[in-house]
Amino acid sequence: MRGYVIKRLAQAVGVLWAAYTVSFLVLDYLPGDPVTAMAGAGMDSGQVDPARLAALRHEYGFDKPVPVQYAEYLGRAVRGDFGDSVSTGRPVTATLADALPQTLQLTGAAMLFAVVLGGGLAVLATYTTLRWLRQLLLSLPPLGVSVPTFWVGLLLVETFSFRLHWFPAFGNDGLGGLVLPALTLAVPTGAQIAQVLAKSLLTALDQAYVETARAKGAGRWRVHLRHALRNASLPALTVVGLLVGQLIAGSVVVETVFSRDGLGRVTAAAVTAQDIPLVQGVVVFGALIFVTTNLVIDLVYPLLDPRIVVASGRRAALA
Amino acid sequence: MSQSLVDDPAEAALDPARAFTAGKDREPGGRVDVRRLARFVVRRPGLLLSVVVLVLVALASFHPEAFTSQDPLKGVPSQNFRGPSGSHWFGTDELGRDVFSRVVHGAQLSLKATLIAVLVAFVVGGLVGVVAGFTGRWVDDVLMRCVDVLLSIPALFLSLALVTALGYGTVKVAVAVGIASVAAFARVARSEVLQVRQAVFVEAARASGARWYSVLARHVLPNAAGPVVVLATLDFGSSILAVSALSFLGYGAPPPALEWGTLISDGRNYLANAWWLTALPGLAIAATVLATNRIARALDGEWSRQP
Amino acid sequence: MTALPDARSSRWTALTALVTTSLLLTACGSGGGDSTGGSGRPASGGTLTFAVGSDAGCVDPQQVASNETIYSVRQIVDSLTDQDPRTGKIVPWLAKSWDISPDATTFTFHLRSGVTFSDGSKLTAQVVKDNFDAVPKLGALGTLAEGYLSGVKSTTVIDPLTVRVTFAQPNAQFLQATSTHSLGIESSASVKRTPQQKCSDGVVGSGPFVLKQYVQNQSVTLARRTGYAWGSSLWSKRGEAYLDKLVFKVVPEAGVRAGSLQSGQVDAVSSVGKANEAALKGSQVALQRRANPGIVFGLGLNNARPALKDARVRQAILATVDRKQIADTVFPTGTRAATSVLAHTTPGYTSLAANLTTDTTRAKSLLDAAGWKTGSDGIRAKAGKKLALTIDWIPNPGTNQPALELIQQQLKAVGVQVTLKQLQVTQLAPTLQSGDYDAAWGNVTRADPDILRSSFSTALANFYRLPKSGLDTTLTAQAATTDTAKREQLVAQAQQLIVRNAYYVPIVELQTQLGVAKKVHDLNFDASSRLQLHDTWIG
Repeated sequence: MRGYVIKRLAQAVGVLWAAYTVSFLVLDYLPGDPVTAMAGAGMDSGQVDPARLAALRHEYGFDKPVPVQYAEYLGRAVRGDFGDSVSTGRPVTATLADALPQTLQLTGAAMLFAVVLGGGLAVLATYTTLRWLRQLLLSLPPLGVSVPTFWVGLLLVETFSFRLHWFPAFGNDGLGGLVLPALTLAVPTGAQIAQVLAKSLLTALDQAYVETARAKGAGRWRVHLRHALRNASLPALTVVGLLVGQLIAGSVVVETVFSRDGLGRVTAAAVTAQDIPLVQGVVVFGALIFVTTNLVIDLVYPLLDPRIVVASGRRAALA
Repeated sequence: MSQSLVDDPAEAALDPARAFTAGKDREPGGRVDVRRLARFVVRRPGLLLSVVVLVLVALASFHPEAFTSQDPLKGVPSQNFRGPSGSHWFGTDELGRDVFSRVVHGAQLSLKATLIAVLVAFVVGGLVGVVAGFTGRWVDDVLMRCVDVLLSIPALFLSLALVTALGYGTVKVAVAVGIASVAAFARVARSEVLQVRQAVFVEAARASGARWYSVLARHVLPNAAGPVVVLATLDFGSSILAVSALSFLGYGAPPPALEWGTLISDGRNYLANAWWLTALPGLAIAATVLATNRIARALDGEWSRQP
Repeated sequence: MTALPDARSSRWTALTALVTTSLLLTACGSGGGDSTGGSGRPASGGTLTFAVGSDAGCVDPQQVASNETIYSVRQIVDSLTDQDPRTGKIVPWLAKSWDISPDATTFTFHLRSGVTFSDGSKLTAQVVKDNFDAVPKLGALGTLAEGYLSGVKSTTVIDPLTVRVTFAQPNAQFLQATSTHSLGIESSASVKRTPQQKCSDGVVGSGPFVLKQYVQNQSVTLARRTGYAWGSSLWSKRGEAYLDKLVFKVVPEAGVRAGSLQSGQVDAVSSVGKANEAALKGSQVALQRRANPGIVFGLGLNNARPALKDARVRQAILATVDRKQIADTVFPTGTRAATSVLAHTTPGYTSLAANLTTDTTRAKSLLDAAGWKTGSDGIRAKAGKKLALTIDWIPNPGTNQPALELIQQQLKAVGVQVTLKQLQVTQLAPTLQSGDYDAAWGNVTRADPDILRSSFSTALANFYRLPKSGLDTTLTAQAATTDTAKREQLVAQAQQLIVRNAYYVPIVELQTQLGVAKKVHDLNFDASSRLQLHDTWIG
């Protein structure tokens, strides 16, 4: 068990390092000169003052050889220093830390909605004996993954804010302001959870132990929840881990639609302003959240189901 | 048992192609029976509708004039903000332009971007997967570790980082979306190549002294292609969503170029007085994605499972 | 008190007449603070939530030029003087009186005593000197303030409460300039910081509100300054402001702003376009309008670009645009098509409507004469180069995009290809300064015709890259002239030169239109159609 934990930790660190490297390569060296992009701040070409270019280049260390820059940057990143935002001059880490709580609130609520609605849908669809209801319920998840989130958000605003005045249309005020954005963000996630859970529930219901439980005279609802759902929720848990990254990234669109403060809006603004250090911080941060969640789930997993340890190697590669 | 319990559905959610790789019969060189195909489609009205939708969208992107005679770029300013009606199916926008015509003409850029994205993912991802699967050993290790890293960065963040580096515009957005889904293709292509490589007929070909490239070209690629094509169909749907999300965020082509995501984003300014400017173009996106997903599902499981 | 020397009074009478006329013309649509309510007496307390469409990326009043950010940062600082929006008259604020030398080169201000900044420091002549010494070094974002002080020779402290500003040449516009937010007085500690620090961290002022929090692109939060007792002589309430807190939230979509005002989530919204007027009418909302003086909305052409160096091309663009169609389709009800480079509410405005008619036949023949022949795709070309223009624009106010799309259509009809390039609010000034653009969409609000000099003199920023010409002489002369009639004549001449040479393509006048919940009272426009929130109350 200890060996497993250490191995998973090492893998997580390795993935983070690689994610940093990817972002470094993409942002700093793909198109050419990042300094011109910064000085031009979103403009195509630069009749930018050469002296300013040189100063910026020196300030960001771009006048040094690439490997040296990379080592210096990586060294600072390890200590949590991603440099200063080009557009605001504030440290990237502080900017992200300020925006994070709002986004965690949003994604947390969205995950809750997704699990409750998606899970509920899957359980109901597999439980019901009404053919039409099952068909109807099972047709919802494919719909959920096909609609653009920004469109869902706008329709919700139009209906529940502007027409019915139930919830605020934008901003971070209170729980009421959280409902519509969280619901919007939960649509694709909930749909995917429902798909996976429904599938594994159907598989579980076919298993021998369910037959045994039934033979022993357990009620239908009891068999469904106690036996089948318990076994079927393990894969769903893995999916939840995988979907966390998607939720965090989804906040870019949802926070824009609802003019909510948070990581997503910071990201959108950073991309628009070609604020390279900030975008890089966001990418690495996204990977960090994704890796951490999956690490936690992997470490919790053996506690839930001791049979898992054997299979850990394959899954780890995925994270 | 535990292995399949953990792996299969979870990965199916992340890269849907895994769902069909198991338990599928391979018929090398099987012919498609037209009558069987027709029967298959007709029995599934949803699928039929999906095919119709997709054909219409494809036609719209090549011949928008066939669907509407109204100019998408020029309207009558005095007739702005008219709701949906017989003469303007989707209503008119702030400058009196016909929204239906704008959606129809918008299909071209949106589909072009989506195709580029899928192509980039298909070619780059497929290449990485085939090389990794066919070469094996350390090349496989290195390539697949890179793929794992790409998977750990949320796709939209990766696309946004690429947009920051490349700049705005339809093609750049498309490339950014494509690269973000390279990893899924690489994994599927690799696992298919690995399976086929170990198949009896491939072993036989190698044993009889065939060159590696002829084995690759004659046996491995044709047999590994199927699942990758299904994945491409699925990826088409998600790419439409990703491309439209990026153009919604304002990274697509500037006006007067028409893109579905931009249409919705512009309509946001009039959310309080003209719902049709956001609701109806969104319907076009949703219908197209739904249709491709439905077709992908049919290609994947249903076709091979039918009697 | 020697506030208004005789030499100036006649000028101000004329100016008053102009401004008053304009107000009569625009007042019909104005919901005006006090006409809306009637429920109860003014009460202290409460929070005003104001949704604006954009953020200038800066909370230093001396550096901000974007109206939607001025609304908030204006409240942080006081100015030496104030300008009466009804009469155009300059009245005391931080300066209780002033003397101006007859040749308009020396301005002596007598400061109020007992004024403190929110960091506790006192307002003295030295602080004013520190401000005026620092302004010329603000850089790209401070061009407005720098322009007001251009040609300043020295600022001297006469005694702790008397300060004298001396210019090398006569500077008729300076007194009005001291009433603007751009020359709002900041504490000495703030002035010593770098322009960028002032932008991102804010400044310490003596105004009725204090900056509490600024989150770029998201919000500006202000709190009432306790113990404030030196309000402008124009304000009705003495002492502190009524409101406890002002929250300005950035909500980029006009539709979302309008909907949120309707649903009561916010108390007021900025830049309401024509599209949302109907949605807001009839609900618990009043629309408040006021025409902005200054340079009208239009295309600032980069006169150094090869194609645009040719006056015929510029004149063709001027003759192509259909101003009335743009004003009627997109902008708030009552918006006027431009009839000069100055808005009709600007002192010294002269109507050049005859020069600003739409005549596409003339435009086409001008372009033909300039050698631009129509190609097979309908776009004109000369020597293999297409007649293509990129217009840089910012999404503030929300009416910009549809207006520009109409211009794009109109210009295409005569064979000019237009590409629209959206910039962030923060990018516009650096772009104009760098000169790397074809045309830029914008306006400048100021209640003094000297704004022509700030915008078009080659001796100053010269964003539009004008060649040196007789226009420079005219602009310099109007600034040095204290004789009203003569100055008006010079200003008229300058407007004619700009329009006839088509250095700038005037399109429509900016009319500020706010949506304000009916429970909000006395949300008042200042002379530049920006906001004064000291007297505002909720009840």
